Amino acid sequence: MVEANIEMLEDEPSFKEFAIEEFLVRSEPYYRAVGDELELFEAAYEQHIPVLLKGPTGCGKTRFVEYMAWKLGRPITTIRSEGAQEMREGEVRVPLVTIACHEDLTASDLVGRYLLDANGTRWIDGPMTRAVKAGAILYLDEVVEARKDTTVLIHPLTDHRRILPVEKTGNIIEADDRFLLCISYNPHYQSALKDLKHSTRQRFISIEFDYPPVDVEAEIVAKESGCNEEQAHALARLGEKIRNLREHGLAEGASTRLLIYAGRLMQQGIPARRACQVAIVWTLSDETELQQSIEEVVYSIFE
Amino acid sequence: MTNSATGDLLDELAKLPPAVAEAYQAVADAMAESFSDEETALWAREGVAIGTQTVRSWESAVEYYRVSPEVARSLAFASFMQWARCGTYLSQDSPTLAVAFFKASPSIVTNLRPQYIPRWAGLGRSLYKGTWKSSTLAARFFEVSPDLVRNLPFWDVEVFASLIEALSYKSYDVAAECLVLGRDVLPAMGREREAFLSMSRALTDSSWREVKACLEMAPRALQHVEEGQTGRFLRLGEKLAKMGLRDTSRFLYDGAQALSHVSAGSQGHILDLCDGLLASSPDAVPPFLKSLDPVLNRITLQQLDQWYQHGVELLNENPESGIAFFKIESNTSESMLETLSSSLDLERVKGIMRLYTRALSGENIEVLSTAELVRRQIGWVDQDTASTDGTKVYLPPVIDNYNDKSQNFAWFKVVATHQVSHLEFGSFQFDFVRPANVFDDRRFPMEEAIQARIEAIRTATAEHFQLLDSDTVPSIEVGDGPGGTMRVYTDIGRFLSLFEDRRMAFDLFSVLEDCRLDYRIKTEYPGIRRPALDVQGDALTQRPRVEELPLQEALIELLVHMSLDRFEGLPVPQDYREEAIMLARIMHRLRTVRASIEDTAEAALRAYEIISRLQNQQEPEDEFQPEDLDDPGEFSEEEYQALLDKLQAQMSEQDGEQGEGDPYESPEPVEYRGDFKPEMVQLLTKLQMDQSEMGDAEPMTQEELEQLLQDSAELELDAQEGDVDQSMAMFAQNIMKEAGVPPPSNDPGRGYGPILHDDDAGGELEALEPKTFVYDEWDFRANDYKPRWCIVKEKVLDEGDPNFYNDSLRNYASLLAHIKRQFELIMPETWRKTYRLIDGEDIDLNSALEAWADLRMNVPPDEKIYWRRNRVERDVAVVFLLDMSASTAEAIDEGRHSVDDRDAPDDPVEYMVWLRRRREGLVRRHYKRIIDLERESCALLINALESIGDTYGIYGFSGYGRENVEFYVIKDIEEQFNDKIKRRIDKVTPLHATRMGSAIRHAITKLENQDAATKIMFLISDGRPQDRGYSREGVEKEYAVHDTHQALLEAKRKEINPFCLTVDKAGHDYLKTMCGDLNYEVLDDIWALPERLPMLYRSLTM
Repeated sequence: MVEANIEMLEDEPSFKEFAIEEFLVRSEPYYRAVGDELELFEAAYEQHIPVLLKGPTGCGKTRFVEYMAWKLGRPITTIRSEGAQEMREGEVRVPLVTIACHEDLTASDLVGRYLLDANGTRWIDGPMTRAVKAGAILYLDEVVEARKDTTVLIHPLTDHRRILPVEKTGNIIEADDRFLLCISYNPHYQSALKDLKHSTRQRFISIEFDYPPVDVEAEIVAKESGCNEEQAHALARLGEKIRNLREHGLAEGASTRLLIYAGRLMQQGIPARRACQVAIVWTLSDETELQQSIEEVVYSIFE
Repeated sequence: MTNSATGDLLDELAKLPPAVAEAYQAVADAMAESFSDEETALWAREGVAIGTQTVRSWESAVEYYRVSPEVARSLAFASFMQWARCGTYLSQDSPTLAVAFFKASPSIVTNLRPQYIPRWAGLGRSLYKGTWKSSTLAARFFEVSPDLVRNLPFWDVEVFASLIEALSYKSYDVAAECLVLGRDVLPAMGREREAFLSMSRALTDSSWREVKACLEMAPRALQHVEEGQTGRFLRLGEKLAKMGLRDTSRFLYDGAQALSHVSAGSQGHILDLCDGLLASSPDAVPPFLKSLDPVLNRITLQQLDQWYQHGVELLNENPESGIAFFKIESNTSESMLETLSSSLDLERVKGIMRLYTRALSGENIEVLSTAELVRRQIGWVDQDTASTDGTKVYLPPVIDNYNDKSQNFAWFKVVATHQVSHLEFGSFQFDFVRPANVFDDRRFPMEEAIQARIEAIRTATAEHFQLLDSDTVPSIEVGDGPGGTMRVYTDIGRFLSLFEDRRMAFDLFSVLEDCRLDYRIKTEYPGIRRPALDVQGDALTQRPRVEELPLQEALIELLVHMSLDRFEGLPVPQDYREEAIMLARIMHRLRTVRASIEDTAEAALRAYEIISRLQNQQEPEDEFQPEDLDDPGEFSEEEYQALLDKLQAQMSEQDGEQGEGDPYESPEPVEYRGDFKPEMVQLLTKLQMDQSEMGDAEPMTQEELEQLLQDSAELELDAQEGDVDQSMAMFAQNIMKEAGVPPPSNDPGRGYGPILHDDDAGGELEALEPKTFVYDEWDFRANDYKPRWCIVKEKVLDEGDPNFYNDSLRNYASLLAHIKRQFELIMPETWRKTYRLIDGEDIDLNSALEAWADLRMNVPPDEKIYWRRNRVERDVAVVFLLDMSASTAEAIDEGRHSVDDRDAPDDPVEYMVWLRRRREGLVRRHYKRIIDLERESCALLINALESIGDTYGIYGFSGYGRENVEFYVIKDIEEQFNDKIKRRIDKVTPLHATRMGSAIRHAITKLENQDAATKIMFLISDGRPQDRGYSREGVEKEYAVHDTHQALLEAKRKEINPFCLTVDKAGHDYLKTMCGDLNYEVLDDIWALPERLPMLYRSLTM
């Protein structure tokens, strides 16, 4: 035990650190298109039209944006042993800046602020500013969660102007040609206060996401979790069945992500029923009756 | 009194100790007032007599004189002297006794009739046996007598005294203790005293010590026993005691405990059982009662009977084992309890089953007991078999097939899955014209052939008539034959009409469809494979022997066996081996995920064509040879056609040679598969659809429906032949009602319901009175508003008792605290400054100076130097609309079956009657009504809302008819909270109907005038909207739902967020339509309303 611990300590932790606007999706993320969303997004990107992604949790919105960043950018960089990057001719870089919005996220968190240092104040660009300058895809996840003052920033960026006014410094930044704003939004929230205003919504094209059809979802689950086709299909069917319970006490159906988790646990040798229980049943609800009902569905589908 | 006499007396007294004379002197004057001189003399003398009985009897005399005046006040002289003499006798035996007697007398004589006094004295005397202990006991008796006599009838006192006497032979101490206990305990026992005393009396012979224990136990024990049953219970104890039961107190205790666990109405039944036991073996009663509690924890009262009966039988065979049985010390008993307790009530798993079936099917399925289906009488008659009608799954109310609860549950699941599979895999979606997947489509040519034949007949007949009389060509009735208009009303009906023997065709169709479904279930739900196999295995054991059936039925039975997954060792008639193998091939072809309901139909058609060409005759037993049909080879259309041709040829050969064979009978149903009624389901769906597309086609009449039902192979009438017509009419009516078809005729009494008030007629309304408002109403058929259609009358609710409000807050104190805390978290912190921020409105001077100083010192400063006002200002206006319809008077029964108005009539007038009747059944209610919970929630809500300062209004709505939509103000949106509002809440009562649309529109008006950033309308209801004329032609519930939906949309358009909360469990059905994609919630547990409402509001505005 002790030895093992020491070894652990000696082990170099492996991580990579990027400047936020330099983060590129380098290897192709797995994304299985269900409809024409790829073409739509590409077209919107070319035409500088901001995109709103609607859909329930865990149905692949974030993955889609990642995939699009990769697809649109196709960086041809090779990472050398030192980690230095070299740009080759003809490369287009589309960095991806993802910001998970929360209720304390203010405009200046996005734009930037003055910091004090030993010699006075120093301006630091916020992630939005950096994304605008670097020509990244800026992805604001769950945008309704952010404070209302962020709309001040979103509006000029999303119409023909494509500018970011930085009030504090008195500057206006014109966005790089590659810049695109993309936001996501889950229409299943019940709060009346958290709704996107129409003036905001109407600056985007909306791509609706839902959980994919059984066959496609099975394919995704198989690919992502590595479990076999039969298991993946069963998981996808389970997802479909559980989603039937939406509005019968279940606020949200089982997301593809949860199905994948269950698949991964199964891949690790956890029995199917148990894997579904921990990954899906207990995650979805705390209500005993509902849990039991879902469990019965699990027991019917899995041996 | 003469002087000499007085003198004598004084002399006599002088011989006694001076205390006597003193006592005499003290009362003499008082006595002289009550009695005449002569009488007084006699009185005085008696004292002397008492005093002179024994050496110590002067003490009695003193007491005698002392109490005399008081006694004299109640007794006439004759009775008085009688009393005095009793004392004299007593003092003869024991002065102590006499003293006690006299002492008790003043309070006795006021309560005891004079003639009983000697008997009373005698009771005391009888306890005295000349010993010191006995005299103490007797004296004790006199001491407690006043209490006894005051509280008990005298004969009970006598019985009690004799009980004490009996006890005193055993032990004076115990007797004395019992005497005192009896005084305390007996009075409270009421009418059952007698029984108790005789029980105790019986005990004194066998186990006298128990008497005391019983006395001690009784009050506590008996309070568990129902009043009317106490006597029986005690008499049972008495009988047992007489039969020699020793520990009666134990019996009392156990018995009372056992009875306390039985609901009041059933205690008599338990005592019946005890009496039964008493007859055969009294020894078994105490163990029975003792076991009752644990037993009833495991099984229900109904099941108890079974267990008991078994015990009694054992008892009669062998008392020893019978008693062990009742002690639950025998295996038989244990295993029987096991079986009984493992049975599963549908009620207990209904919730899970409902969600399970909904998950599987994706439909709004309701799970109901089969009893319900039978009650609705639309053609399903079997009480115990599962079924589905497309939106509801019916399951048997109790399952006890297995000795294990989980197995019984698995059975439920298998059955439910099978029923839902009808929906999931499209059994009811049969479409005559959709091509099959795995078979060629033979049904089209077949139908054409049949139609051609009919056409031929028709032309032939027409020609025939033309020959007779060319003027009157009657319309030709082809009857219910194939191609007749009625039969093709549903696709299934159209298919079945292809066959001569519709019943056989339908049986084949069912078996093959069940086979297809079971196969699908096993591939799609591997988890259920094992229990499904078990259930199939059990079903197989109940199948009749193939060998004993006539040929046609035997072949169908073979199919049933195969459909139950039995392919090996099937008895196949060797002469018809080819046919059997062909059938097996047909069936195997269905065992693929590709097979659809149309394939089932094709398979049924083929199986029918084979089997119907055979004669239904009994084959000799040795004809049958076991064979494996698990791999009969591929089905091919050519081989099938060849076989068919061969059979056809045989038939024509044999034509007329042989008899008809036995009449065909349907196979025994497979229990777990339940009833399969595709035609009925399609019929209902079709009727409903026709209904909603009204105007396009002539709706079906009742007569037509009856005709159709008569033709249906699915209908099993549980009636004698003669009743069939009548039942048919009833079924037809019920089905029409189910489908919401308007009454067939407008003559009063001809329709299936009373003629409805229909105020479609009449035009726009005018609001003339003050505080009345006119609103449009949405007609979804016309897809337009009916202009100025409803009058909303706004009234301020009467004021009642403010205590309701205060009590509610008190009753929910802990919840209230919780809610308050939650609401405080969203309290606006408007304009409060927050300091030390890294960013903000302005620089905070203090922090800035610090930072500056740090900078000068070349130290990195704290960067948090800003302050900011918290600008999150809450600006919410909300209107709550409370449903005050009559249905909110519904009592809530401990949350178990809360609102169940499935069978509520749709007509408002009938509805009121129905409601009143229901309510009368619950007159003695001490439980709450829906409205009570609404009011309580309202109180809690007000309290919470006051704490956060949102603008809010609370209104109730009800009404009757479109001119009369009542809109009650509980708290107007502009009103400040005050005591009047508290008082108004008390007056929130169930009123009339619910015309939601107009109420919502009025609420919109209220909110519109508000200037708030967020506006919310919160609708709390207990069921679907309903009102006189709030439907098209009185029958269409959708009208109300659509109008409400429209009103909610209007709200949304005016930037008001509507939210519907309903406590109607069936709410999912119509709320989807009513609220569309707007928010709603169905509260499954109505008791949660007071908690849920404020919390919901909070989460809505966070």
